[in-house]
Amino acid sequence: MPHDSDDIFEADNATRRDRGPVDHPTMLSSCSRAATAEEARYRVQYPNSMTRSSRIFALDEAAAEAMYGITEEPWNDAHFLTLAARGKVSPDTRPEDLPLSRPDGAAASLLDEIEGADVVVLLASDGTSEGAAEVIARECFERRIMCAGLALGQGRSDAAVATVVNSMRRFARVLVVAQDDDFIPAMLTALRA
Amino acid sequence: MLRKEVNDLLTQTDPGTTMGEMFRQYWIPALLARELPEDDCPPVRVKLLGERLIAFRDSKGRYGLMDEFCAHRGVSLWFGRNEEGGLRCPYHGWKYDVNGQCIEVPSEPEESGFCEKIKLKAYPLIKVGDVLWTHMGDKENRPPEPEWEFATVPEDQTYTSKRWQECNWLQAMEGGIDSSHVSFLHSGGLKSDPLFKGAKGNQYNANDKKPVFEVTESDGGLFIGARRMAEEGHYYWRITPWVMPSFTMVPPRGDHPVHGHFWVPIDDYNCWAWSFDYHPTRPLTPEELQAMKDGYGVHNKYESEDSFRPLQNKDNDYLMDRAAQKSGESYSGIWGIAMQDASLQESMGPVVDRTRENLVSTDNGIIMARHRLRKAAIALRDKGVQPPGRTTEHQMVRSAAKVLPDDQPFKDAMAEDLTVRPGVKQTSV
Ligand code: FES
Ligand SMILES: [Fe+2]
Repeated sequence: MPHDSDDIFEADNATRRDRGPVDHPTMLSSCSRAATAEEARYRVQYPNSMTRSSRIFALDEAAAEAMYGITEEPWNDAHFLTLAARGKVSPDTRPEDLPLSRPDGAAASLLDEIEGADVVVLLASDGTSEGAAEVIARECFERRIMCAGLALGQGRSDAAVATVVNSMRRFARVLVVAQDDDFIPAMLTALRA
Repeated sequence: MLRKEVNDLLTQTDPGTTMGEMFRQYWIPALLARELPEDDCPPVRVKLLGERLIAFRDSKGRYGLMDEFCAHRGVSLWFGRNEEGGLRCPYHGWKYDVNGQCIEVPSEPEESGFCEKIKLKAYPLIKVGDVLWTHMGDKENRPPEPEWEFATVPEDQTYTSKRWQECNWLQAMEGGIDSSHVSFLHSGGLKSDPLFKGAKGNQYNANDKKPVFEVTESDGGLFIGARRMAEEGHYYWRITPWVMPSFTMVPPRGDHPVHGHFWVPIDDYNCWAWSFDYHPTRPLTPEELQAMKDGYGVHNKYESEDSFRPLQNKDNDYLMDRAAQKSGESYSGIWGIAMQDASLQESMGPVVDRTRENLVSTDNGIIMARHRLRKAAIALRDKGVQPPGRTTEHQMVRSAAKVLPDDQPFKDAMAEDLTVRPGVKQTSV
């Protein structure tokens, strides 16, 4: 039947009128029954997903500060990491040389951390971390890991935020600019981190 | 994923609920102006935010929206006689004016002043554009009258329709924010729909099915940018604005009229999907207008003229066409862009259980919108802070589509394109 023209409707209207509702008998599996509130309680209650592994990288001091506020919450399989050494990281840094640390101060390795990760989230509050973002994003790209960037705008000017965004734009498949740090836990919860 | 308490908070809009109070801070579309076409025309039943109301237009052309039921013994005023400056209950003749004030109780002596003691709850009803708007909150906090561009351009440049959608407002609205479904669900429509097809932008859409998303906050809500590959060194950007609580616009294509939606709760299980199409600088052509009336683009065909129920609905399985699905003519097998969305959203159930969803990073527009709605609703409830989206300034947004050099952030490079500029055409590819 031609679907991009009116014919289907002209024809269908006519037949619908002629044949009446019998044309569309309501069966047990019809939308009219299946989509009711009553039927909603028969939804299969088994889990429909397995635990996700998320890796959250705070790329600068203020981002780390904002991240530390939430690392204690009960997450599923989220690892929170920061750059151990402050200051600029060259984009040519080898992944094994990127200095990372966990919230308790222990050292961590980028390659170990992103092995088997489902999603990587980069947190940044200034534009100084482009090099580190590139090193992490490159490894994600090679492993086909989804990489999202979250630019933190709380208390910062539009221009400052623009530099952050620019520093992550090339690497993130999704880039979010959040005016408040409380979006970090909201986003991680939504993503089942 | 949303915890159950948060899902309940965002989806419930009856009087006294947190989100219900939030919706009561705005002017919201209540009826199409053509539903009350002339003075003393038949009254119309309206249900909004879980309240049953009656709308009418009196002998002097004043609009009224009030409690549906007569204060005497509870008869529905839908049966009322609309005459001589008021709506009269046909049971014992009590009569009300557009403010809900009872102005006549025939059984009582006129001098007794009894009728002054009787007043139905009433809300203002004003006409802006093709739409009658109401504000269901406190008079003291009434926002400025709505100034959305679609409602303020000359009459011949705009067309609005509404359809009853049988599910909660939030899952419907989230469809308006979720631009990543377009390359799938609407892939057929981009090629064939008279109000979509033929734009250069459609090729970029078709060639790059993995857009990159950028979500940024605006004063009134969000801009959700989707970026696709264009010519060497350039990106094709499509920007969807969302303004609180429930206004979304689709990025334009070519010189087609620009479209968008308002999503208004009827009750927790039903909502109105308002759909508008306008052109900022020229009248709609007769062909465009006809296509809109015929249910193309964001509009739809109706079961019957004034039911506002789509012809394709859950009782006829949306006229599912498996052959068209198989051939790819229609990605889901459902005809029409609007009903492709509505059918799937209704299939989620009256209120989708968001504790079971598995969002991914590209859903960040939705995640952010929920986050902002929740924060605004709680700030209003706990601290009396008025939510964003109420002021004219916040409503002065446009959707836009543009090809930009790859080093330019859309928010700066498209700042003007995303703002209403009277007399200036929409930015489109
Ligand atoms: S693929 Fe998105 S709802 Fe099923
Ligand atoms: Fe859609």
